[in-house]
Amino acid sequence: MTTAESVKVTINGQEFQVQKGAPLIDVCRENGFAIPSFCYYADLALQASCRMCLVRIEKMPKLQTSCTITCTDGMIVTTQSEEIEKAQRGMVEFLLANHPLDCPVCDRGGECELQEMVFDWGGLEERFTERKNYYPEKFLSPIVANDPQRCILCKRCTRVCDEWMGEDAIEAGGRGANTVIGTFGGWLNCSQCGNCIEVCPTGTLLDATYRHQTRPWELERTVSTCTFCSDGCQMSLGSRAGELMRVVARDRYVDGINGEFLCIKGRFAHPFVNHEERLRTPLIRYRKGGKLIPATWDEAIRFTAAKLQEIKDAHGANSIGVVGSPRLTNEANYVLLKFAREVIGTEHYTASEAFSLAPFFKHMTAPLATHKDIRHAKTIVLIGGEPEELQPLTAKQVRQAVRNGGAKLVIINSVPVRLKQQATQFLHVRPGTEDALVLALAGQTDDAMAARKMGVEVGEIEPLRRMIDETQGNVVLMFGGELSTEAQTILAQLPGSIGDEENRRFLFHPLPLFNNSFGVHDVGLMDGKLNATGLLDAAGDTVRALYVAGGLLPAHLQGREQALQNLDFLVVQELFATDTTAHADVVFPAASFAEIDGTYTNNDGLVQRVRQSIPPVHQAKPDWVITSLLADALGIDFNYQMSASAVFREIGEHVPAYQGLRYPLLKDESKPVQAKYQLAGQRAEVADVLAELRQRVERMTGAGDKIMETPEVGHELFKIGTLTGKVPQFHLLAAGNPEPPDVLVSPLYQITIDSGLRRDTAIAGD
Amino acid sequence: MFIGAIGCEPLQLKRVGLENSRTLDVYRQHGGYEALKKVLDGMSPEDVIGEVKKSALRGRGGAGFPTGMKWSFVPKDSPKPKYVVCNADESEPGTFKDRFLMERDPHMLIEGMLIAAYALGSRTTYIYTRGEYRYLINILDAAIQEAREAGLVGDRIMGTEFSCEVFTHTGAGAYICGEETALLNSLEGLRGHPRMKPPFPAIAGLYGCPTVVNNVETLTAVPDIIKMGGEAYQKLGTQKSGGTKVWSVSGHVNRPGVYELPMGYEDMEKFIMEDCGGMLGGKQLKAVIPGGSSVYIMPATDIVGKKVKMDYEGLVVAGSMVGSGGFIVMDETVDVFESTKNLTEFYKHESCGWCTPCREGTDWLVKVFKRIAKGEGRPEDAQLLLDLCDNIEGKSFCPLGDAAAWPIQSAIKKFPEDFRRHLMPMATRTAEAVAAD
Ligand SMILES: Cc1cc2nc3c(=O)[nH]c(=O)nc-3n(C[C@H](O)[C@H](O)[C@H](O)COP(=O)(O)O)c2cc1C
Ligand code: SF4
Ligand code: SF4
Ligand code: FES
Repeated sequence: MTTAESVKVTINGQEFQVQKGAPLIDVCRENGFAIPSFCYYADLALQASCRMCLVRIEKMPKLQTSCTITCTDGMIVTTQSEEIEKAQRGMVEFLLANHPLDCPVCDRGGECELQEMVFDWGGLEERFTERKNYYPEKFLSPIVANDPQRCILCKRCTRVCDEWMGEDAIEAGGRGANTVIGTFGGWLNCSQCGNCIEVCPTGTLLDATYRHQTRPWELERTVSTCTFCSDGCQMSLGSRAGELMRVVARDRYVDGINGEFLCIKGRFAHPFVNHEERLRTPLIRYRKGGKLIPATWDEAIRFTAAKLQEIKDAHGANSIGVVGSPRLTNEANYVLLKFAREVIGTEHYTASEAFSLAPFFKHMTAPLATHKDIRHAKTIVLIGGEPEELQPLTAKQVRQAVRNGGAKLVIINSVPVRLKQQATQFLHVRPGTEDALVLALAGQTDDAMAARKMGVEVGEIEPLRRMIDETQGNVVLMFGGELSTEAQTILAQLPGSIGDEENRRFLFHPLPLFNNSFGVHDVGLMDGKLNATGLLDAAGDTVRALYVAGGLLPAHLQGREQALQNLDFLVVQELFATDTTAHADVVFPAASFAEIDGTYTNNDGLVQRVRQSIPPVHQAKPDWVITSLLADALGIDFNYQMSASAVFREIGEHVPAYQGLRYPLLKDESKPVQAKYQLAGQRAEVADVLAELRQRVERMTGAGDKIMETPEVGHELFKIGTLTGKVPQFHLLAAGNPEPPDVLVSPLYQITIDSGLRRDTAIAGD
Repeated sequence: MFIGAIGCEPLQLKRVGLENSRTLDVYRQHGGYEALKKVLDGMSPEDVIGEVKKSALRGRGGAGFPTGMKWSFVPKDSPKPKYVVCNADESEPGTFKDRFLMERDPHMLIEGMLIAAYALGSRTTYIYTRGEYRYLINILDAAIQEAREAGLVGDRIMGTEFSCEVFTHTGAGAYICGEETALLNSLEGLRGHPRMKPPFPAIAGLYGCPTVVNNVETLTAVPDIIKMGGEAYQKLGTQKSGGTKVWSVSGHVNRPGVYELPMGYEDMEKFIMEDCGGMLGGKQLKAVIPGGSSVYIMPATDIVGKKVKMDYEGLVVAGSMVGSGGFIVMDETVDVFESTKNLTEFYKHESCGWCTPCREGTDWLVKVFKRIAKGEGRPEDAQLLLDLCDNIEGKSFCPLGDAAAWPIQSAIKKFPEDFRRHLMPMATRTAEAVAAD
């Protein structure tokens, strides 16, 4: 880190005290002096190629690029003069020389940085009267369209591809004026995150699923939180006339923890919202074995309330199970829990979450790391998990921490995950032995055994402990779902037992799977007597009815298909017909994340807003509203007056970690609010847990082969689920990138152009 | 074709005329590897750098940076490996001296590199040639092998503690890879475009390690500097431009060739008219580009009777530069518009495409030149060309942009007639032609 020494710089005659070594371009902008730029992008490698940011610095021979200059004492800078303006206008003129001047047909029109630069300046006379260089439009992949003529070669795209994603899938080819951004083999072979599209200032790289659908100024924009993984990226939903048209993270619309970063799911997997297969009305199956028949809301609510009452009367409150979901908002899960406790009075409530973090939260002795903390960490220990696939923003932060921040990264994994390219140390362990590493971290005595079980050298463990010990700065401990309850407990207690030092601090970053995995723990839904599999196993026995919001996970259903049929009564709230609704007696159409207000809590513990972008489709209703209607029908008025903020106010009163939170406090996505988790002290019972953990490790066979293959990027991201299954492009991607028969043209371009097929049929027909 | 020294004893060209000059035997018979022996026999690295500093040797690659000073920038205490890289990319139009030196006297380069490596604490050195010089790689590799067998390259050179390897590498045909940082990128297997400076290669060069990049001729001067002492070498030339310089002479003279002249050689006119055998076919001298295509063009009026001194300072005074020493002579038949168009096409072709002004600017310039050549010139085109050059010059990422602008700026300034002719409306042009007949 640079010292915070401050120096004096003079900009346009005004003096400023600034931090020594700060980029001049940032300093100028922070102090209100506009500097045009295209290639400069914070936290990416300097490029200095657009030559837009020129300034005059005294004692330097020529104009200097302010993006590459760092502030030194006594620097005297001029940002505006005739000479500078001529140079900058000259650059724009150069950039426009070969650039088509037909913004009305370009998909970026209206939100293009080049267009804006020209508008801002005005008075450009076109002196270029020669023939423009021409390149055909093409598709780089099913979701990335490419119009090379519009490229200004700022290389933001290639840098995010390399530095954020570690993909290196696009690079410049050719040279001089023939330089074009392209791919190896004409086909974009990567995880298709689309970040290159996002950062492209011009209409060169475009969202092929959205292109030519609407113009940006026709879109209504809503800042919201992604509904896929636990990273909780902030995004801008663009809708028109009740239809969700696109999702972006462009910094002009939204400024969240992720900057302009999104992964393939966040950016592209939104067509499920307006999908034609969305459930339209409530459905009732009047008798077992019969059909689900459309019904009115009144009828369905009345029917359900009566059935639940009947079962409760016959078998007692505990015969009814209530299952929430880590995909739903805090509001939905909180109201469900309240319903379970206060309306039904059952102890059987849970969420369909496979990875319980309850032991961790109970024993955590260090705060949670935010994504910003991860970027600036000095040591990162990643036990299990595969953030590149499951928490892509976390993976990006880790990569940048290593590449740009010089952090040390230790990966303990049974799979040689691709992120290991960035690792200082990679402990390649046998599948299912991650627990042994936690045991070793807890103390040297078990090193030899732990190493034997994991299948690593004993000598590999000590350096890891030493690295943690010697860190000056933050140590972030990350872990995936592989850790047992005991291992989670011991890991959670580790910082407390090692202790912070003046320059070293421990932070945790668990890696759960879902957008609101944290939330289901926070509101208390995970504290029920049985978990989801437990409830299913008891189905037809002690559990007679289930009320499921958001569907059950395949992980829970697998091998228990019969369970749902054993129930007397099953109520499900869902977006689509699923394996769970197949056996339901009543199905309520729920509103998707784009149609509701609410909050998700991400793996930083940040409580972030979900905002309504479009009215609920068909007759769908927000999950918490449906639950309230049921409560009402059962004689208890929750009195939320149809307002999500009223629900959240109650959460702020009842959930300890959310004490005092209100929607207005969560207004600004650029200043996210972290829930206040109670840190645990050193717990005495931990000695017993450690003994259990040791026994667990002792029981490991210490034999078996290791997984040697590095999985291909996207193997999880392209998995077809209920939501991603509604995106045609995902099917093509999940089937693997087809081998281009002709290396010059991307296959999709060929499909479209050569065989006369329409692109959408070509994709759908995979 | 002439190969030899004028006005001094040949240093660089001492052996190039001998039979089997590229063999180790001939090299040794004529003083080869004596300098290396002297160095290894008792000179410290600092002594070597000291001699090079005293010699006032300036880099022969084009920029003329003092070599001793460049060497002294390499951090002595850096734990990283250090590299010496010979820039044998020689792609500047009009320049072909490095090729002769390597083809005919490869051991002189190897010896120079070994001495540089010793002075800088390097164990690994590379010779990077342009792609078209692939045939030279065989010659260089054979010489390196010979030297290795004689214990002059590899482990424990001449039985001392000093070990050093010399590797060869060819580019793939890009002028920009002669720029030292683009060269390093190319050597690392990356795209050939320049890197941001600072950091300079001496601090973070090849693989991020301290690296000295020197031109072939710079390195081949080193053995003689060691043998005769820096001071004696400097005295061959002038105070600020020490030693001798090898010029590649081409164009309309009777004896083109490779000429070694002492720095500060008096009178370019004499050089052309007498040493180079005078103008081809007795035609009039029109212009000279003295330092490779990237420098300002000089009209005959700036040469004849002006006693232009041929060294770094003298040529600046005369309105041009030494550059790479590619000395191109043009007679009265040359249309400077055409020759400038030709050069501009070269720069457009070779622009790496990294930065806006050079990439788009050279493309635009060429399009204008081509349009004018088709007879569609407009009077305002001269101003347009100058203005485009102004928008490139001093604003590009690396000096290639400047190099593209300078020839045009000086050509329009010094030969306005050649441009005016093309820019006049077609009718006037034809009328003039009729009148001339
Ligand atoms: C566009 C460009 C092309 C260059 N080409 C060459 C070249 O072909 N050979 C060369 O020795 N130096 C070339 N240079 C100069 C090198 O960047 C560098 O200054 C030189 O290798 C340093 O060696 P010296 O100090 O021995 O001159 C070129 C520079 C530029 C900007
Ligand atoms: S495609 Fe876009 S982001 Fe990439 S270099 Fe071109 S203009 Fe820049
Ligand atoms: S001036 Fe710019 S485009 Fe031209 S060669 Fe240098 S870096 Fe490349
Ligand atoms: S922003 Fe500085 S050169 Fe592009």
